[in-house]
Amino acid sequence: MAFQADRCDPARAEAKVLGGVIVEARGLRKTFAGGIEALRGVSLAVRQGEVVVVVGPSGSGKSTLLRCLCGLETPDAGEVVTDGARLPGSRRDRDRIRTETGMVFQHFNLFPHLTALANVTLAPRLARGLPADRAEAEARALLGRVGLKDKTGAYPAELSGGQQQRVAIARALAMRPKVMLFDEATSALDPEMIGEVLEVMRGLAAEGMTMVVVTHEMGFAREAGDRVLFMDQGRIEEEAGAAEFFLSPRGERARRFLSRML
Amino acid sequence: MTPSSRTSPLSRLAQPLPDLLAFAALAALVVWGVLAGARNLGYHWQWYAVPATLLTWGADGPAAGPLLQGLLLTLALAGTALPLTFCLGLAACLAALSDSFAARAVSRLYLEAVRNTPLLIQIFLLWFVAAPLLGMGRFTAGVLALALFEGAYAAEILRGAVLSLPRGQWEAAHALGLSRAQTYARVVLPQALRRALPPLTGQAVSLVKDSALLSAISLFELTLRAQALVSDTFLTFEIWFTTAGLYLAVNLALSAAARTLERRVRLRG
Ligand SMILES: Nc1ncnc2c1ncn2[C@@H]1O[C@H](COP(=O)(O)OP(=O)(O)OP(=O)(O)O)[C@@H](O)[C@H]1O
Ligand SMILES: [Mg+2]
Repeated sequence: MAFQADRCDPARAEAKVLGGVIVEARGLRKTFAGGIEALRGVSLAVRQGEVVVVVGPSGSGKSTLLRCLCGLETPDAGEVVTDGARLPGSRRDRDRIRTETGMVFQHFNLFPHLTALANVTLAPRLARGLPADRAEAEARALLGRVGLKDKTGAYPAELSGGQQQRVAIARALAMRPKVMLFDEATSALDPEMIGEVLEVMRGLAAEGMTMVVVTHEMGFAREAGDRVLFMDQGRIEEEAGAAEFFLSPRGERARRFLSRML
Repeated sequence: MTPSSRTSPLSRLAQPLPDLLAFAALAALVVWGVLAGARNLGYHWQWYAVPATLLTWGADGPAAGPLLQGLLLTLALAGTALPLTFCLGLAACLAALSDSFAARAVSRLYLEAVRNTPLLIQIFLLWFVAAPLLGMGRFTAGVLALALFEGAYAAEILRGAVLSLPRGQWEAAHALGLSRAQTYARVVLPQALRRALPPLTGQAVSLVKDSALLSAISLFELTLRAQALVSDTFLTFEIWFTTAGLYLAVNLALSAAARTLERRVRLRG
């Protein structure tokens, strides 16, 4: 347990209490077919309750990093440790990381043949072995929490982009993950729908969810982020408290990136 | 006023009229062509003899005539082969997509062997070579030959449908912690089967038509019955037209059933 006392964020009344390290990546490297080095030695440690925002230009490896953290991509070198489970590792470790890491995709990836409710109950029933009625009660509560109480019976095609993404967030939360990963969760949305999704994400952060968020929403990064990682060409180029990063980025690349984004 | 509110009910009824007239003209042309062809051959039509090939009235009520008996055997063959085809196709598709090299190799071997040799020869091989070894009856050998043949095509249809799903579906299921089997059963196949339904219906229709080749191993299904009748009665045109009509009726019913199923499982939205 430690206080982040050195951060002076006027928007926040009291300093946030962070727990121990829950997600750790050490020396991740990933080269894709064609010789593209997406990750060239990335290490990070995320503490319980921390909101880490990852920013950086297109192709800098942000998505690849998140996909390594949730086991969708196998790094060529390095390892991921989430709550004691290791990647690469045993099958049990792999399954634990998959279920304990929630992932929200840019394009929602809802199951189109299932209602919003069934999208949310599917994994708890199959992967957590929850009985149908318990899973449904939990799913209704989660859908209520993301503001979709009256959309439980709707199919994805009957929902707006913002609503679909909120169902996707509820679906990931239903597995009771220890950490939530967001890969440009608002990039595919019409401008008027970005707010409702960011609102849900802010709420999660306020409740103390551990989050790693790749986003181009600099406002969200500044308000909700505890720490910002700036990635460029497969490396973490800069790492700072959110307020500090936006006030005075140290490196030239980060400065140029920020001047383009803001 | 919008155009639609101006049109009277009568003119709305008349709208498809030109289309219908064109169709009737085309149909008339075909019938006339056939009749003219037959007249040139000096063909003597005897349609009155056809009903007896379907139903006969014996001492103890109605009995199936030879064509109807053939139709029933065709239906039995196709009806047994169809579910088997689906299971074989699904198994071969899953094997082709599996991580196991052995499963992929066996599946590939099966698909290539079946799709690149004539069905007639496969039927002969099954009946004259495999059946004596395995103690199979004629009916079983026939059903198996049909199912093995059509199953290979069904496998490729299903594989295409599975591969056509966006990668994000697999990734979402994986990130949620579903196993591979669970992902197939609850996420991938429900969507892939919907996409595969129209081409699979086409394959089912092919199966019914291809069952005619089983006449080569003396299964007295519809086509062999028709052939026997023609050589007995010389009602060449009448029998073959009637037989074609029976196949047509079976397949139209099959397609209609498939369309109903398609509508019922169509995704909302
Ligand atoms: N499956 C893949 N096969 C080949 N190359 C890939 C693959 N996935 C990513 N890459 C490459 O790896 C590099 C990093 O990609 P990544 O998607 O991680 O970037 P990103 O920071 O998320 O970019 P963006 O902001 O555009 O989403 C890019 O050059 C990309 O083209
Ligand atoms: Mg990306």
